[in-house]
Amino acid sequence: MGIEILKYGDALFETMDGALEKSDSTFIMGQGADDHKGIFGTTVGLAEKYGADRVMDTPLSEEAITGISVGASLNGMYPIMTHIRADFMLLATNQIVNLIAKYRYMFGGIYKVPMLIRAVVGRSWGQGAQHTQSLQSLFAHIPGLTILMPADSAAVLSTYPYIIHNYKAPVISFEHRLLYELDFEIDRQQILSVDKPLSSRLKCVGSDVTIVATSIMVLEAERAAAHLKESGIECDVIDLNCISNIDKGMIVESVRKTGRLLIADTSWKAFGVSAEICRVICEASPNILQAPVITLGMAPAPCPTAKTLEDLYYPDLYDLCDAICRLVTGSDKHGIDLPKKKAMTDTYKHFRGPF
Amino acid sequence: MSQDLYINLFRRALLIRRAEERIIELYPLDKIQSPVHLSIGQEAVAVGVCYALKSEDWIFGTYRSHALYLAKGGDLNLMFAELFGKVTGVSGGKAGSMHLSSPSVGMMGSSAIVASSIPHAVGAAFAAKHRKTDQLNVAFFGDGALEEGVTYESLNFASLHQLPIIFVCEDNGFAAHSSVQARQSFDRTALLDAYNIPTRCVTEGWDFEKIFEAMSDLVKAVRQGGGPKYLEVKTMRACEHVGPGEDFDAGYRSREDFERWIVHDPLICDIDTLSKVEGGVIEAIDSAITFAEESSWPGPAQLLTDVI
Repeated sequence: MGIEILKYGDALFETMDGALEKSDSTFIMGQGADDHKGIFGTTVGLAEKYGADRVMDTPLSEEAITGISVGASLNGMYPIMTHIRADFMLLATNQIVNLIAKYRYMFGGIYKVPMLIRAVVGRSWGQGAQHTQSLQSLFAHIPGLTILMPADSAAVLSTYPYIIHNYKAPVISFEHRLLYELDFEIDRQQILSVDKPLSSRLKCVGSDVTIVATSIMVLEAERAAAHLKESGIECDVIDLNCISNIDKGMIVESVRKTGRLLIADTSWKAFGVSAEICRVICEASPNILQAPVITLGMAPAPCPTAKTLEDLYYPDLYDLCDAICRLVTGSDKHGIDLPKKKAMTDTYKHFRGPF
Repeated sequence: MSQDLYINLFRRALLIRRAEERIIELYPLDKIQSPVHLSIGQEAVAVGVCYALKSEDWIFGTYRSHALYLAKGGDLNLMFAELFGKVTGVSGGKAGSMHLSSPSVGMMGSSAIVASSIPHAVGAAFAAKHRKTDQLNVAFFGDGALEEGVTYESLNFASLHQLPIIFVCEDNGFAAHSSVQARQSFDRTALLDAYNIPTRCVTEGWDFEKIFEAMSDLVKAVRQGGGPKYLEVKTMRACEHVGPGEDFDAGYRSREDFERWIVHDPLICDIDTLSKVEGGVIEAIDSAITFAEESSWPGPAQLLTDVI
C-alpha cells in the first residue's frame, strides 16, 4: 500500500462513510449533517447514500439531542453527534457531565452508552469569543468521559473506527477546523497495526527538548522541531491524542532523557492540559527537570475578533521556536535563528503537509 | 375492570406504600445513608401507568424512583440492598435511592437532575421506531420538569418524528416547596396542543384503575402508530420533598388538602382487600430487609470499577 496523501477532512469522511456502511445501527445526527456543506464535507452525500434516518438534521436543541443519543445508545444504536463548533456543545453540558459521564458508574455498571460526539474547534477569520474555544480540559476533568484530539489524518483513521465499532463508552472528539483542509501522509498498513489507538503518540525523536502537544499544536511542534534541527536542536514531540488517557510513562521517559519540557496546547493554560502535564511530572519525578517548564497556549482572555489581536492571542511558530531555544540555552538572548513572525492561519493558507 | 386486575394493582401500590413506610421507620437508625424522596400518596400513578405496559417497554424516571422501580416489577431485595448501600444492591450501592433502575424489567434509569431523563425516553423511542420494534417508551417526570427547556426540546423532537412515547407528568403541585402558581404562566393543554401531542388528564390520582385505563388507551393508540401522547395525573405527596417526615407545619401547603385527598385512598379505605394482601406484602418487605442487612458493603475493589 505504501504512503498516500489524505486530507484530514477526507479522513473524517472516510470514517463516517465506513461507520454507516458497517452497521445499520450507526447514525449521524447534528445541525446541518445532511445539508450541502455536510459538516465541512465530512458527511456530504451520506444522507442520500444511507437514508434520511441515518444521517439527520436536528432541531436546534443540543441538550435534548444529546439526551436522545443516550436513549438511542441504551436501545442498541450507535449515535454520532456533530457540533460545527464545540462552543455549541456547552448547551448539552448537563447531559454530558451529569448523565453520559455517569450512566455506567452511577448505575453500578449495568449500562453502557457508547457514542461519539464530534466537536469542531474554530480559529481565525475573526470567529471571536464564541466560535473558537478549545474545551478539552473542561470535559477531560470529568471521570467517565474519553476525550480525543486527533492531530492528523492517521490519528482519525486509527481512532474513529476503533471507537465506533469496539469501544463501548462515550467519546468526545475535538477536531481542529484548521486541520480539515491539510494534507497528511498516511500509511494504511501502519494505521492497521496501531496497538493502542486511544493513547499518546511519539511523533518525532530528539534528545534536547520534550514537546507535549495537542491537536494542531502537534503539527506546529513538528514544524518547530524541523526548523531547529538546522541549528542542531533536536526535539521529542509527543502528541497526547487521547487527552483523558495520556501515556504518562512516555512523557516521563522523554523528560528523563531531555530534562526540558515544553507544553503546547490549543487552549488556555490555567487548569488545563498544560497544568495536567506538569502534575504528571511533579508527581512522578520532579527531579528529572533540568529547567523550568514552559507552557504555550491561548492568551488568558476570550478570543478577540480583530485580526491584529487574534494574531497576538495565539502562539505561532516563532513563539514555539523561541521557547524551545530558551529552554535549551537557559537564556532569553539565545541568538539562534528563528522563523519569521507569521500567524499560523496565514501559513496554512498555503501550507501543504507532509506533516 | 376485573377483580383480579384490581387486586394486582392494589397489591403493587400497597407494596410501595409499606416499603416506604418501612424506610421511614428505619431512617432514624441510619441504615439508609442517603437522601430519600418518598412517593407515599403518589403510588397509584406509577402502578396504573406501569401495569399498562409490557415488561419489554421501557420507562425512565426521576430521583423519586422507588415507586417507579417497584411498579415496573423491580426486585425488592435488590432495592433494599441498594438503599442500604450494599454490594448486593441492584447497582452495587453506587446508585442508592435516587438512581434505582432495573433493565431486566425495563426500568432504564432515574436521574436527580429534573427533566434530564425525558430525552432518554425520546431517544429510546427513536431507536425503537428505527429498529421497527413494538417497544413503547415512557418518560416519567414531575410538574417542575415542565419548566425545563429540555422538556420542550424533547416534546418537539418526539412529535416531529412521531415517536412511540408517552410523557407522564406526576403533578403533585409542588417543585420541592414552590407551588405551581409561583412557577408557571402557561396553559399546559394549549402548550401540548402546540406540539400536536394529544393529552389526557386524570384528576383522581389515588385511583389506580382510572390511571390504568387512561394509560391503556394511550398505549393502544401509540402502538397503532399514533405518535407521542401526554398523560397528566394530579396527585398528592404525603411526605416532605426529601426525607422521611411530614412538613404540613412548614406553611407552604395545608394539611386540610391532604386530608380531603386521603379519604379516597383505596390503600386506606379498602379494608377488605387490605386484609387479603397485606400479609404477603409485609413478609416480602421483612425478607428484603433481612437480605439487605445480611449483605456486605462494597469496598476498595468496587470504587474504581465501571468508570469508563
